[in-house]
Amino acid sequence: MYFPRSILLLFLLLLYYNVNAQNGNQPPSLLDQKSVLLNVGTQGVGAEFAYGVLPELALRGGLNFIPFKAHNVFKISGFNSTSNLSANFYNVHALADYTPIKTASWFRLVGGFAYFFKAKGDIRVIPSDDYKYGDLVLTEDQIGYVDLKVNWKGLAPYLGLAFAHIFPRNKFNVNFDLGTYYLSKPKADIIGTGLLEGNSSQTPQFQSNIKDYRWLPIVQVNFSYRL
Amino acid sequence: METLRKIQLLLVMLTIAACKKPTENIKIVIDTDVIKYTALINVTDGQNGSAAPAGTTIAITGAAANDIYELSGKKDIKLSSGIVTIGLKPTVAPAVNEPITINAEINAPGYNKETRQVTFRTETKQQVVNIQLTRTGSTAPPIVTPPPPVFNNVSLTFTGRCPNRTDIEVRPSVYVYFKKSGSNAAFQYLGYMDKGNISTNLLQQGETYDFQIVYGAETYKVSQRIDQTSYNLTLDMPAACNF
Repeated sequence: MYFPRSILLLFLLLLYYNVNAQNGNQPPSLLDQKSVLLNVGTQGVGAEFAYGVLPELALRGGLNFIPFKAHNVFKISGFNSTSNLSANFYNVHALADYTPIKTASWFRLVGGFAYFFKAKGDIRVIPSDDYKYGDLVLTEDQIGYVDLKVNWKGLAPYLGLAFAHIFPRNKFNVNFDLGTYYLSKPKADIIGTGLLEGNSSQTPQFQSNIKDYRWLPIVQVNFSYRL
Repeated sequence: METLRKIQLLLVMLTIAACKKPTENIKIVIDTDVIKYTALINVTDGQNGSAAPAGTTIAITGAAANDIYELSGKKDIKLSSGIVTIGLKPTVAPAVNEPITINAEINAPGYNKETRQVTFRTETKQQVVNIQLTRTGSTAPPIVTPPPPVFNNVSLTFTGRCPNRTDIEVRPSVYVYFKKSGSNAAFQYLGYMDKGNISTNLLQQGETYDFQIVYGAETYKVSQRIDQTSYNLTLDMPAACNF
């Protein structure tokens, strides 16, 4: 629990700093301002270019990617196994930042789209016990493994909130995004090998189970540099 | 770092908000085709074609006897309903010009001893060996069972169920026998079921049949009336659930 608390505290401190750094001034117009942003968050790491097209509206374009690997995070009840998980989400996106309240220009509504040219999660489940078949002890190759694959590739709308100014008053600031993508309908697949080859028959059930897994929450810290 | 990792995982992928657990109602499907080269031994009473009498035993002899296992992987080989499927252990296979040969010796009280050579060849992964017993002192020739009539094709898909593990399904690869329900006739050979699937032209539309398999020295049966061209049938197969 200490980690989320410290993140929240850091977020509040940075937000306080950013808001106060520009208080007492006229709300800045976004028009023709430019910045580059490096970000890190739940969609991985990425970079963006932002440009103010109206006094209250800026457009952002960029890309993000997250290659992720983990072990033994997935269990099938009653089946002793090890699992290897890999997730790869690569997207290009275009977002619009709208400042709805002139006196609170640190607060923005954000909407847009991303195209996930790679958005997949793969889990390989490998039996971890020495499986006996009658009096025969089976090798790992004979037993085989099960791959569960999910692919969300495609266009995804985004809606969210952003905190702190997108264009730093000085050269640099830190701002935040909080929102969600609504991913395209996932395509699921189960592939088995060896004695587990028949598990491909479970694909329709797996597809049904994950059909609502479409919300990709975004919590992101942006490091912005004004051009 | 562990906490960080968990949170990252939680936020990145597995918290893509949804209600259902991804593995909900997903069963683990297990095949039984561990033993690839098999031979069905079908022992009958040669006088009437019925299954071998109780007390009939089988012994495997020959140089390769140690490589022979029952279809369920057991070293102990027993007949059930006069039937047993034997095969080579998975690490042993015949070579092109080097078949593997064993002898199956059948003994039954009141019957003559029968010995049959069984040869495993690369080109024949399944084979049926029929052995008819003759009563001691009898000179009557064994009966000849006529081949069953041929009809249109019917596809059957068998699923093995584990009574104490509802999360497991078995796709049996095993020899299937059949007879008309209510008939006193002996079971006849239907064919080899590969990973739960068998297609046959020996079933008549409108008739009800009993299907029988022998696995792990246990006999399992299921009945089905044939009115369509395909059926999914379920068998309780506890002998295939010892994982």
